Amino acid sequence: MRCGDFRTTYAADAAIFETPISRWATVGFLVALAAVPAVASTYWLDVLNRVAIASIAAVGLNILTGFTGQISLGNAAFLAVGAYATAAMAGSAGLPFVATIPLAGALTALVGMVFGVPSLRLKGLYLAMATLAAHFIVEFVANHWDSVTGGVNWISVPAARLGPLALDTDAKLFYLVVPLAAFLALFAKNLFRTRVGKAFVAIRDQDISAEVIGVRVFRYKLLSFGVSSFYVGVAGALVAYQARIISPENFPITLAIDQLGMIIIGGLGSVQGSIFGAAFITLLPEVLRLATGELSAQFPGLTDLFAPLRTGLFGLVIVLFLVFEPDGLAARWRLIKAYWKLYPFSY
Amino acid sequence: MSRMQRLQLTLAAVLLAPALALAQEIKVGGIFDLTGITADVGKPYAQGVRDAVQWVNENGGVNGKKIRLVDSDYGYKIPEANATYKRLTGTEKVILINGWGTGDTEALKAVVAADKVPYFSASFSAHLTDPAKTPYNFFVGPSYSDVLRAWLFWVKEDWKDKSRNPRVAFFYGDNAYGKSPIEAGRRFCKEIGIDLVAEEVLPGIVQDATSQLLDMKQKGADYAFTQVTVTNFSVVLRDAKKLGLATKWGSNTWGFGENLIAVARDAADGVVAAMLNPPFGEGVPGMAKVVEFHKKNHPGDKHDTNYVRGWSYVMVWSEGLKRADKAKALTGEGIKAALETLKDFDVGGLAAPVTYTSADHRPTTKVSLYQIQGGKIVKLSDQEQPRKQEWLGL
Repeated sequence: MRCGDFRTTYAADAAIFETPISRWATVGFLVALAAVPAVASTYWLDVLNRVAIASIAAVGLNILTGFTGQISLGNAAFLAVGAYATAAMAGSAGLPFVATIPLAGALTALVGMVFGVPSLRLKGLYLAMATLAAHFIVEFVANHWDSVTGGVNWISVPAARLGPLALDTDAKLFYLVVPLAAFLALFAKNLFRTRVGKAFVAIRDQDISAEVIGVRVFRYKLLSFGVSSFYVGVAGALVAYQARIISPENFPITLAIDQLGMIIIGGLGSVQGSIFGAAFITLLPEVLRLATGELSAQFPGLTDLFAPLRTGLFGLVIVLFLVFEPDGLAARWRLIKAYWKLYPFSY
Repeated sequence: MSRMQRLQLTLAAVLLAPALALAQEIKVGGIFDLTGITADVGKPYAQGVRDAVQWVNENGGVNGKKIRLVDSDYGYKIPEANATYKRLTGTEKVILINGWGTGDTEALKAVVAADKVPYFSASFSAHLTDPAKTPYNFFVGPSYSDVLRAWLFWVKEDWKDKSRNPRVAFFYGDNAYGKSPIEAGRRFCKEIGIDLVAEEVLPGIVQDATSQLLDMKQKGADYAFTQVTVTNFSVVLRDAKKLGLATKWGSNTWGFGENLIAVARDAADGVVAAMLNPPFGEGVPGMAKVVEFHKKNHPGDKHDTNYVRGWSYVMVWSEGLKRADKAKALTGEGIKAALETLKDFDVGGLAAPVTYTSADHRPTTKVSLYQIQGGKIVKLSDQEQPRKQEWLGL
């Protein structure tokens, strides 16, 4: 009888799926997801696509912040870089999405590495300030580089296209966004089983010790900025394909803060947590909106009260989470799993 | 008829009544900002729309059919406006949407054209008036560009020193709303002989405008026009008063209204601005029902011009619904065609008379200028602009 979690080999320790059940549950979940567009309305598909896109960006941010310990407020800016790169490549050059998405990711990785250079000297809050500067620089460029970004006016993006196939509906886009999110999550999960990933974690835990055991700290910090920004750039490309029309107003600083919220609520240093957090932060306003909309319909006189209540509740839920579950949703999920695995003898 | 039969009949009637009522219902979507950065003006506007819909329903509806307004707050966040739009058209199947700001309007303009959903919003950008580009976008009132031209025209008249041209400065934010009329203003200055000496860019939230004002002072502007919001405009006015500038100020509709006096107080004296809708309670024929509704339903509330704007929107699009319904074409296309038959449609002075054609969605070119005099909003003049073809979309 199992009464604890004992690993006897390194392979078991590094396994992505700890038990066959969790592997098959994941596969089953993905198969079930594939059937969703057949039943869901465009509204829910739109929301699910946003969850998947936010997951990619959150996994990216978690690689940098949760796994490497480099705090960043530049995420909205990097999303904008990915989105505008896609708009330019898909618009005038007419490239298919199989080219634009990786290229947008690569370009954003480059930009991210440039803004990662200050991390050589800066840590913690100081680095947060430096990446905040990245946000304002990118915003300024987006506002004023009229020939590429359309300036303050909006620039439209054609539907994601590959030969005769155009992903012009939410359902079609779903089959691009969700598998891509699953693949990138798996890639990130694997990354932390490799030398590079272990180096990231070593830097997070203690950068001087990392240097002593032979990790070239600056190189790996830059690499972390690059990988993280690649993810965010891919998410930005998908944002462009989903919104189909973008402007600097799509990427406000509050977006960067929302994404930090996702990884904090989901769990710093956890790929699964990033996805939980992305789903939570994206779904919560929608659920609250539907609930307050329902209440407003019942009590029309109180509509003006319910709408602001939603933003207040949003803040309250986040604070409660931080107080009662500081390790994030991922930790709670592990506890729930452990409870059932060891039931009824969890001691 | 036996008692049983009567019971069955009553039951059937009770069960059928909602179904019948449902069939007689027209679903209209609302995308409003109640919590975002423009909530200060978005909330009264949304309330105006809601109240006016209730009034229309209580007064005959759309040829007897009731309007059901399905509205939602999007907090001025574009992805949420997108999602709300998809819910309204996909799940709720609305046939017309009453939207709000620049953000949602611009983000959705291509989609509403593809889906053929008439989209009314309070973004008065002139580029939304060319049906060749944005066939399903509508607004009620003169465009930002027409407002700026009317104000410049007033400047030319107000300027008494004939030895030189008046000097003008523009203040605007670095965003789509701020820059919307600027090109039209630049051209019109040249046309009528006004020297545009300074263009000052303001940040999204103005806390201090001293540096911009000093620059403007150095360039010697006699007049200045602001394309900002009430909150930002009052900061500019406060700083201008502090610096003792003699500049005469102008503004578009979003920087003006009852609340400007409340916030900027005596610094607002002398400001000349366009109001697209009269202040709440002004003596125009259409205002009687608005005031009556207010007294009946919420006599304790305070209202302003933005509330009146909400009413004027519903008056216009409900007329479109009525005409489309008469033509048995209650679809997006049918409503668009019906709206394009409106010619000098009078909303009782709640807004300027509205005309749409299939080639020109400029609702009106008449701009009403008001001035703040001793803490009161006083009407100066109506400026009727020529409906020039080359100004369409500019």
